[in-house]
Amino acid sequence: MRFKTDLRNIRTFSRLVAALNSLEKIAWVRLDDETARFTVIPDTGSQVWASLSVNLIFDNYSIQSAEPSNTINLELPLGPLQRALRSAAGGNQASLRLTKRDGLPMLSMTIHAMTKDGGGPEPRGGRAASGFSGADPNDPFGDDPDIFQQESLELTLKREREKVITQDIPVRVLHPDTVETIMQPKVREPDVHIQLPPLLQLKAISDRFTKLALTTSSSSRPGGGPERNNPKLELSANMYGSLRLRVAAESLDITSVWNGLDNPELDPGALSMPVEEHPSTRFREEGPDKWATVRVDGKDWSRVLSVGRLDAGRVIACFSDDHALILYVYVPHHDDEASDDVVTYYVSSYSA
Amino acid sequence: MDSSLHEVWQAASGRPFVPAIGKDNQFLFAFLLVVLGLGLSGAFALNRSLVNVPLLGVPASLALALGVVYMFYHVHHPPIFRAVASSTRPLYQLLKSIGFTNKVHVEITENGLRFAADHGRVMQGVAHWSKSLFTTYTANIPRSDDDDDDNEVLPSFQISLPALLETLQIFGATDAAARQAKADADPYRSNLRNYRPDAFSNQTLGMSGTCSLSYTQEGEPFSIVLEEAGVKTTCNLTTYMAEIPDDIPFDIEDISFKIITQARVLLDALGEIAPSQPDKLTLTASRREPFLRLSSAGALGSSSVDFARGKDLLETFTVRDTKWRQTFKFDIIKSASEAMRIASKVSLRGDRQGVLTGLSFLDFRFVPYAENDDEDDEDGDDGEGSEAL
Repeated sequence: MRFKTDLRNIRTFSRLVAALNSLEKIAWVRLDDETARFTVIPDTGSQVWASLSVNLIFDNYSIQSAEPSNTINLELPLGPLQRALRSAAGGNQASLRLTKRDGLPMLSMTIHAMTKDGGGPEPRGGRAASGFSGADPNDPFGDDPDIFQQESLELTLKREREKVITQDIPVRVLHPDTVETIMQPKVREPDVHIQLPPLLQLKAISDRFTKLALTTSSSSRPGGGPERNNPKLELSANMYGSLRLRVAAESLDITSVWNGLDNPELDPGALSMPVEEHPSTRFREEGPDKWATVRVDGKDWSRVLSVGRLDAGRVIACFSDDHALILYVYVPHHDDEASDDVVTYYVSSYSA
Repeated sequence: MDSSLHEVWQAASGRPFVPAIGKDNQFLFAFLLVVLGLGLSGAFALNRSLVNVPLLGVPASLALALGVVYMFYHVHHPPIFRAVASSTRPLYQLLKSIGFTNKVHVEITENGLRFAADHGRVMQGVAHWSKSLFTTYTANIPRSDDDDDDNEVLPSFQISLPALLETLQIFGATDAAARQAKADADPYRSNLRNYRPDAFSNQTLGMSGTCSLSYTQEGEPFSIVLEEAGVKTTCNLTTYMAEIPDDIPFDIEDISFKIITQARVLLDALGEIAPSQPDKLTLTASRREPFLRLSSAGALGSSSVDFARGKDLLETFTVRDTKWRQTFKFDIIKSASEAMRIASKVSLRGDRQGVLTGLSFLDFRFVPYAENDDEDDEDGDDGEGSEAL
């Protein structure tokens, strides 16, 4: 089993890992010839399935495995990976390799970085040894050769030196059979699909709403148990380009509405049923007052929205009324547009 | 003859308009009138004769006319209060300085909104949103129901203060988020310039959107509508029955001492004392040195700050008796520090008894601890922050 690759788009990769890490500490990674799939399934909260094409984040990718269709399944801690990527972001080049250290499998990241002004004492020492810096007896200022040491002008002076950093991330290699048991949740066809406004904007407002719900709940019912600490936001959308965020409590009722969003057209070829029978068609026919609503946990939702830092392109939300919310976050490709790198969030809905 | 019309006019202005039909029933009544009018005119059209003119035609037209008028009256009911602001930041800052309670008492006046927060009847903070903070401001103060005097009863209610504060912060949140995103993408910005306001931010350019506040009528929610960057946020804050906290009595005629100083100076003085976590703060004002002394004794020791070189620090300093000395709970004095932070000047006043009407934006009153001797005066400190100086 061999896996070795250089990293590219480290910033994007790092942000993705940060977004995943906010939901759960451990991720399952499945690597094969074409795609790298990251799966995060927390005990409570939203599940993430990130499927990235290999050439989005990897370069000079080589994988060799005895498993069918050349796959490697790893369980890796996201915290150390995020730290390693952060240090790699400051470097010039980084590579990732699966190795064994003391009999334990490791994902070893080698980072080549430049440090400023590496030539502190060392070149000077070398120069002094060459006898170049002897004190000039005619120089009136030359009584202390250690202070005013003369050096020749070197245009090719290397002020930067390369350093190599190795970050080891402990991993577990998983058996493919166990991985096959992890299944993407099955969700019925969505009632409403809509393109979300910029996620950071949505997050800013959602976070305020969560705080609002907290202030009102703590003021009206102090110490009401753990349920009180997890305020729920009501999120609705219709097939007429509107998204609505709402918190209703005893002391206030607040609603934010976005209008003029896009409800993407369905691709009939990708559907298992005729477009006319699709639930979204029914929702469209019933007019702008027909909303599909889910209730999400404020804190979990905020973590989900932190994926907005990925400079994501389009984000499509699929609402199954009163049931679930699925977010498809399309990761933009800098080189070629035609890619299907998508991070999928399964956000569960709570009952009222 | 000449004065009678004038008298009628005067009387009319003094007497409030009480609709014969209650507000809730207006629509039903109007609807019935319109239906009756239509029915009668229909009957008249079928059977046109001279007898039917007074019998059907005239009532039909009357019913129709009255019904339509009532219908209009019902639909077009002017809200008690409506105001639009282009920025919520000053509103938020003023309110935040009295943010020590859960419920705030709101009073709507012709000149602005008055927010009064009360803490266990020993501290009161009052903040004013002056009319000038808004781009448009209309208040239709309903006349009192009492026929005899023409005192206006100002509409008042209570709302949740933390909720209001959070709501005001939603305005601009998206702008801040966009700035943050930009800063992330640009390391130069994120390291060096993040604290600076962006010259091209929506807020600076004054196109950030609008914030409109309204209160239609008694019992209705106080609603805030924030519109910016394609998002429209509507917040309806439940209004609660007004429990008018009586002002802590403060006698402006009987002021024992009066000091006006830089807000910064007083804030620093409190900052010096705060680390020792004192329980009580003693304020001493005297004619001789030290002119003003803040002293405290806590578990970790005692400390005091003297304003000995009074002339430089204190703009106005008058003490009526030789000495004025009172002890307050430190924590409640500290609650006013947020107000001192945004104010440029503070005026401190101590009295013996009475009432004060504050005209400034912010007004705090504190009740001291009772002294051991029998002197249970109600003394107040009044910190005013005025921004236009």
